Amino acid sequence: MKMEEMSLSGLDNSKLEAIAQEIYADLVEDSCLGFCFEVHRAVKCGYFFLDDTDPDSMKDFEIVDQPGLDIFGQVFNQWKSKECVCPNCSRSIAASRFAPHLEKCLGMGRNSSRIANRRIANSNNMNKSESDQEDNDDINDNDWSYGSEKKAKKRKSDKNPNSPRRSKSLKHKNGFSVCTSASNTLPLLFSSSGELSNSDPFKYNNSTGISYETLGPEELRSLLTTQCGVISEHTKKMCTRSLRCPQHTDEQRRTVRIYFLGPSAVLPEVESSLDNDSFDMTDSQALISRLQWDGSSDLSPSDSGSSKTSENQGWGLGTNSSESRKTKKKKSHLSLVGTASGLGSNKKKKPKPPAPPTPSIYDDIN
Amino acid sequence: MCKDYVYDKDIEQIAKETKEKILRLTSTSTDVSHQQFMTSGIEDKQSTCETKEQEPKLVKPKKKRRKKSVYTVGLRGLINLGNTCFMNCIVQALTHIPLLKDFFLSDKHKCIMTSPSLCLVCEMSSLFHAMYSGSRTPHIPYKLLHLIWIHAEHLAGYRQQDAHEFLIAILDVLHRHSKDDSGVQEANNPNCCNCIIDQIFTGGLQSDVTCQACHSVSTTIDPCWDISLDLPGSCATFDSQNPERADGTVSRDDHIPGIPSLTDCLQWFTRPEHLGSSAKIKCNSCQSYQESTKQLTMKKLPIVACFHLKRFEHVGKQRRKINTFISFPLELDMTPFLASTKESRMKGGQPPADCVPNENKYSLFAVINHHGTLESGHYTSFIRQQKDQWFNCDDAIITKATIEDLLYSEGYLLFYHKQGLEKD
Repeated sequence: MKMEEMSLSGLDNSKLEAIAQEIYADLVEDSCLGFCFEVHRAVKCGYFFLDDTDPDSMKDFEIVDQPGLDIFGQVFNQWKSKECVCPNCSRSIAASRFAPHLEKCLGMGRNSSRIANRRIANSNNMNKSESDQEDNDDINDNDWSYGSEKKAKKRKSDKNPNSPRRSKSLKHKNGFSVCTSASNTLPLLFSSSGELSNSDPFKYNNSTGISYETLGPEELRSLLTTQCGVISEHTKKMCTRSLRCPQHTDEQRRTVRIYFLGPSAVLPEVESSLDNDSFDMTDSQALISRLQWDGSSDLSPSDSGSSKTSENQGWGLGTNSSESRKTKKKKSHLSLVGTASGLGSNKKKKPKPPAPPTPSIYDDIN
Repeated sequence: MCKDYVYDKDIEQIAKETKEKILRLTSTSTDVSHQQFMTSGIEDKQSTCETKEQEPKLVKPKKKRRKKSVYTVGLRGLINLGNTCFMNCIVQALTHIPLLKDFFLSDKHKCIMTSPSLCLVCEMSSLFHAMYSGSRTPHIPYKLLHLIWIHAEHLAGYRQQDAHEFLIAILDVLHRHSKDDSGVQEANNPNCCNCIIDQIFTGGLQSDVTCQACHSVSTTIDPCWDISLDLPGSCATFDSQNPERADGTVSRDDHIPGIPSLTDCLQWFTRPEHLGSSAKIKCNSCQSYQESTKQLTMKKLPIVACFHLKRFEHVGKQRRKINTFISFPLELDMTPFLASTKESRMKGGQPPADCVPNENKYSLFAVINHHGTLESGHYTSFIRQQKDQWFNCDDAIITKATIEDLLYSEGYLLFYHKQGLEKD
């Protein structure tokens, strides 16, 4: 072989260089070329990237198959708050209400045309420019106008004809006679401490309570079985809310009942003391004797724990009663309080659930 | 010229086969040591480069690639905008047509409308992009709804609507807005549009009216986007127990004894119908009014065949929903219902054997179901991803579904895709 015959010493530097280069190239080729061909072939044939998957990314997009979750692993029904922008009016609308909004927005629905016609009619009548279109749309969008229309109509027809407040006499007199069949479902709104509130849909301007002056004993008794009865300081009228009305306390209710329907022994003091809004101590003593009577046992079951004895239970008559003391015309009530004995039976008439335990107590008293 | 190395597919195949032969030879050799030597030798040769795993890793780009087998890209919920479940189901079905997906995701649509914001095809394109974005929150298709209301006024309005009606309407608007994406206009046939919608959905329904007197046949071919099928139990009823089996070679993949199948419905659809003496048609050849029979067959099969089961019946003032369960197959062969099949049958021969056997085979990829009554109901859909993964789409909620869930569902709109043109 030629190579064996050669000796390195016989060569000059350039040739040595060349030989070294060649050897080097061979070595590099040996190590790299095979790999290069592999990769080249893989890329060309298309299988180079086949197994190259990113496990984290795979996990992100994995399909979830569990009850209660969708395939993305999310809980159902969390998309209620999605919003979109209406292409017509450029307002932000809740996605689930987009279709009804768009219908009105484009003026397509039956209601939309009705409203539009009405508006046109109104503007013709009032000679107004229709600049309030936007407002009307606002109203429409909330569906509130429809609701309020319906509600307004409904209210007018919904008045309870049996309600004592509906009685015509109410509007004209200061006081009125309460229907003995006063139902305990009087849906009345009025503010606390007797402030007249005209949010009452039935639009009673005069009184939102009952004047007890003209009430007969039976009426009072029956009234007190169904209504709160606490007398407002301002209007001097009895509260007609339910027996559990939150604006007055049970103490107040008890006090009122004692006042009206308590044992006759109380009467003299009651009469005198009722001039002012605060209780005199003498009165309190008299009333204390009537403490056995639980004025309205249907107030709450916890109230029924009143004792039978005549102990001074310290109901705080002073504090409570000061708010709800009666006015001048108290003498007429004397007759009322005298006939307190029928109270127990009245209680039985009460439709409200908690069975009054005190009738038995009361019976004992009497 | 470029001195690149080329790997010819056939030669690769030969090389692969040769390698396998060698391996087989070595494995059959009884001489263990010889075997070991041979295998190790081959392994050495192969592994000189491959064992160095680190090298390939260094060369490969750091892309995040995912195996397509089970993953959620391509599935996305749709928010119900207020009684729009019918629209959501149709959108789910349309966005899972592979050809349509390829068309839109490769931005092949060129808008021809004067204002692109009103173009429904542009909106479909962005819808496809949204559905395949990989986002997990449901999409809000309010723009689509708005455009549909603008372009298809009979659908405008906040109320429950029919999914089939919506499908026809949206295809119509898409067709009108596409006009001719391929750029080729056939001047001689103005009805022939080559837009993507027509390419995918339009089939040809052939109607043959045969005069009973002279037996001449008058043929018309109407384009159709779907096939509406009568159901047993409807007024146009047929007895599924004794279907008219003119063709005994019908393959019955969906046949459950006693239960009507989609194939039964199709057979009823393509039956020869005697038009009766009250509907005499003037025959052109014998120039007289004669009784005739009419038969429908498929002249041209679309790429995507949509079957509409007529579950909503209007008889006079009576309207009702027909809840009869119809079984439907995962794979459907439309050969028996072709016009060509009928013709060759009439000529007394076998169906033409020269056609590629798979040409008329379809596979199910979407089912839209209606739950409820005629007055008030809800639409949900089953969608297929990959070859056999099914998902239930209920507005914004997508869950995995089993094949049983699918096959026992009532079925209202059935979408089949021609085999061979699917990617998966």
